[in-house]
Amino acid sequence: MKDRSFTLLRPARSFAGLLCVLLAMWYAASSQNNAAAYLLLFALSSVILVSIPHTIRNLSGLKVTAESAKPAFAGDEIFLPVEISNEARAPRHSVSVSVPGSRGDEERVDTIAPGKGARVMLRFPAQVRGEHEVGSLRLATVYPLGFMRARKKLGARQRYLVYPKPGGDPKLPSGSAHAQQAKRGPERGEGDDFAGVRAYVPGESQRHIDWKAVARGQALMTKQYAAEPSGLLDLDFASLRLSDPENRLSQLTLWVIEAERARRPYGLRLPGAAIAPSLGDTHFHRCLRALALFK
Amino acid sequence: MSTLRKIDTRIPRTPLLWLAAALVFTVPPMFGTLSPWVPALFLVTLALKFWMEPKGYRLRLALWKLILTTAALAAIFFSYGSLKGIEPGVSLIVVLMSLKMLEAHTAREFHVMVMVAWVLCLCGFFLAQDLSIALCLLIAFALLLVALLQFHRGPSRNTWWPPLRTAGILILQALPVIALLFLFFPRVSTGFRLLMTPSSSAAAGFSDRMSPGGIASLASSTEVAFRAEFPDGKIPRADVLYWRGVVMSAGAGMEWRARQAPAALSPSALRPPAGETTRQRITIEPHGEHWMFALDWPVQPPPGALLAPGNYLWSYQSIRKPRRYEVRSFAQHPDKNLRQRERDALLEVPPSISPRARELAQSWVAANADPRVIVISALQFFRAQGFRYSLSPGEYRKNDLDEFLFERRVGFCEHYAASFATLMRLAGVPARVVVGYLGGEYNEFGRFLLVRQSDTHAWCEVWLPEAGWTRVDPTSVVAPDRVNLGFDSFLERRGPSAETNTGAFARGWARQPIFTNLRLAWQTLNYTWDTRVLSFDAETQEAFVANVDLTKVPPLQLSVSVLLGAGALYALFVGGRHFRTRSREDRVKGLYEKFCRKAARRGAVREAWEGPAHFANRAMTLLPNESERIGRLIDAYLKLRYSAQVPAGVFEDLTREVGAFPRGKQ
Repeated sequence: MKDRSFTLLRPARSFAGLLCVLLAMWYAASSQNNAAAYLLLFALSSVILVSIPHTIRNLSGLKVTAESAKPAFAGDEIFLPVEISNEARAPRHSVSVSVPGSRGDEERVDTIAPGKGARVMLRFPAQVRGEHEVGSLRLATVYPLGFMRARKKLGARQRYLVYPKPGGDPKLPSGSAHAQQAKRGPERGEGDDFAGVRAYVPGESQRHIDWKAVARGQALMTKQYAAEPSGLLDLDFASLRLSDPENRLSQLTLWVIEAERARRPYGLRLPGAAIAPSLGDTHFHRCLRALALFK
Repeated sequence: MSTLRKIDTRIPRTPLLWLAAALVFTVPPMFGTLSPWVPALFLVTLALKFWMEPKGYRLRLALWKLILTTAALAAIFFSYGSLKGIEPGVSLIVVLMSLKMLEAHTAREFHVMVMVAWVLCLCGFFLAQDLSIALCLLIAFALLLVALLQFHRGPSRNTWWPPLRTAGILILQALPVIALLFLFFPRVSTGFRLLMTPSSSAAAGFSDRMSPGGIASLASSTEVAFRAEFPDGKIPRADVLYWRGVVMSAGAGMEWRARQAPAALSPSALRPPAGETTRQRITIEPHGEHWMFALDWPVQPPPGALLAPGNYLWSYQSIRKPRRYEVRSFAQHPDKNLRQRERDALLEVPPSISPRARELAQSWVAANADPRVIVISALQFFRAQGFRYSLSPGEYRKNDLDEFLFERRVGFCEHYAASFATLMRLAGVPARVVVGYLGGEYNEFGRFLLVRQSDTHAWCEVWLPEAGWTRVDPTSVVAPDRVNLGFDSFLERRGPSAETNTGAFARGWARQPIFTNLRLAWQTLNYTWDTRVLSFDAETQEAFVANVDLTKVPPLQLSVSVLLGAGALYALFVGGRHFRTRSREDRVKGLYEKFCRKAARRGAVREAWEGPAHFANRAMTLLPNESERIGRLIDAYLKLRYSAQVPAGVFEDLTREVGAFPRGKQ
């Protein structure tokens, strides 16, 4: 509840340049025994010294909350919405947030008025499938002068899910042992006739995105082509002929995406879990979640 | 699909404006010291930057940068003749800064520009150090802080005041640290010195040579020569304020010169004579020569100077920064002996002097051989023969003694001093010329006498038996008011003929009491700046630290310990900010959090989403024994937090209830 984390202070990147300037001033002043130059040197160094408590104070009274992040495929980016609220009596300036340990960029907020908050979207790469947790967020600031950088970690728990990276053969398998009722043999996930658009599903091939619509400022849509009517697909972990279980999961993930896109009902069979064939957003994410959490 | 946004790294406009404002304030010291095209180029690029920035133009091509840099280097080389020395060096920094400005466009380069601007401030202090320049540069320094603050605050509109205020707070807080560092930071002199002596900037003041027209050219300069305080409170009368600068005992006719590197007088000559003394504390403005000033006659030289033959002060090092010293002057000349060799030297007259002048001198000797009478006859000659005193007497050449004495008879103090000394020598009276200052303006606020370059004066000294060296000012015979009133007032007395009507009008305005007071106050500030700040160098600091020190610790050690002590205080200050008192609202919240912690330890954990009322209900069922207390507590909390008007005593209730809430397990 109460943050007891320490604020760490270190010179910022521009400090090296400043040090050069200070040294030059010192050298020039001392070699000329020039009192005015000394005065400038002392003014600059004192202001830098005095700015340090301001830098530290600029992080006090800030709280962060990580909101829930949408799942992403491994290799994509996680978007984590973060709310920074300022509970201090003075405004806070130039505060940046990042997820410690992730390789994502930090996001900067210019000003947070007292009693107000600011929202930023942190992006960082989703690396390994599974459920992960953001344990803490790092706040950092170089305000007011930019030569010293204070940072501290604040606890902000939030879980997020990383689906396996889709990979392997995009061709959907032929009707498996459990899909004998399929009328035809293997079929492509798409036909030749344009049949309309639907919302883009993350992870899908970008080839069919309706880019013209994007250019018009609309949301991402996938163009659909009429495909032949299809039978039920049964995607079975055990029947795959890949040695590495991670590769099998990647393959299954890709098939789930392709099947969803082709509007072909599909079921998923994993050791210890089975999901009955179906279609739709909920089913899609349920399957992917099962794949992500597979042990 | 994550990289669809564009990151704008351009420098926002507001910080750039602040930076430009700061840069404008670094320009004044450049005018008058650097070649005029350098600051002009700087200002032009500054304007150009603001024209280019919104259009997205900037210096991109490496080839252009190379060409421009080379052109700038060549231009500097051609204007100064070399790249060494302070002016070419500063010009180089200024020109490179101009080019950098045209090139810079990213956020990181902003820091670079600010730091270069700080270096420009430093350069400014090497070019000039008067108070007005210093104020400009300190304003530039502060504006650079504002620019940095604004830069980190991001592009917020119409908010010029908050960054200014924050910068002000920073500077105010820094002031004590600056003072401590200034007084105690060890001024270690670095071993090898950069030769950064200003080369071309002709330091104001007279030189070791007096030729016709030399001093008259200074008469219009209002620059400060030096300031003198009289610590004993005795301010000499205006007609004896003869500030001795340099004694010229070689040459004759219209041109006189001083010795290049005089030897010190023998210690016997330094024995202080009896009689009244005047103590003076003098702060000289840099003039690039070796003279140090004192009223007639100094006997003991201040540290770092010697007493040259002729009893004038000669500094070992040329004076290139303000210097402060104390000297005592005696009403009588200390040395009553003149050896034969010296006497011969002081009677030397070059053969180029015309027979007509020689005849004139001989006629006085023939009338009466007593040196005193000769002096009086000579003065009588100047008084009676229609000599006029003029600031612009027309040109005289080196050998124009005859023309001055017998034809034009118009001259400035230097003409009178030179011709008088020559005539004395021709008449067999040892004589020499003294150049220095006469008079000065007394400042009532600061209690000091301000002497300007326009107060430069030349007079004579003659050797009289028994009396020794005696001051004779031939100018006083021709223009008595010049000596009694001071130069400015003298010019004024001469009526409107010398000036145009508008000039007189402006002068009349400037004489209004309010302006006079303002002027005097400004001079006092200037004086304080020179004496307290500029002349506080390594030696003064050593003396100061030794003075402060009561325990006889070596100065360096004292400096270090004072700075360490200040560091400890500073750390306390930083730590104290963490534990500063909190507002009432914070305390209410703190009490609530304390209650939550106590309840959690007994099993009622508040969820993150839970509001106080909901949590209270749940806690009452979880902790039935405390339900009444929880009810009262939450009631008080809600009132404090959400009511528009809080009845008195509620805060105390909350404090009591939270304190009474049992801690630990049930």
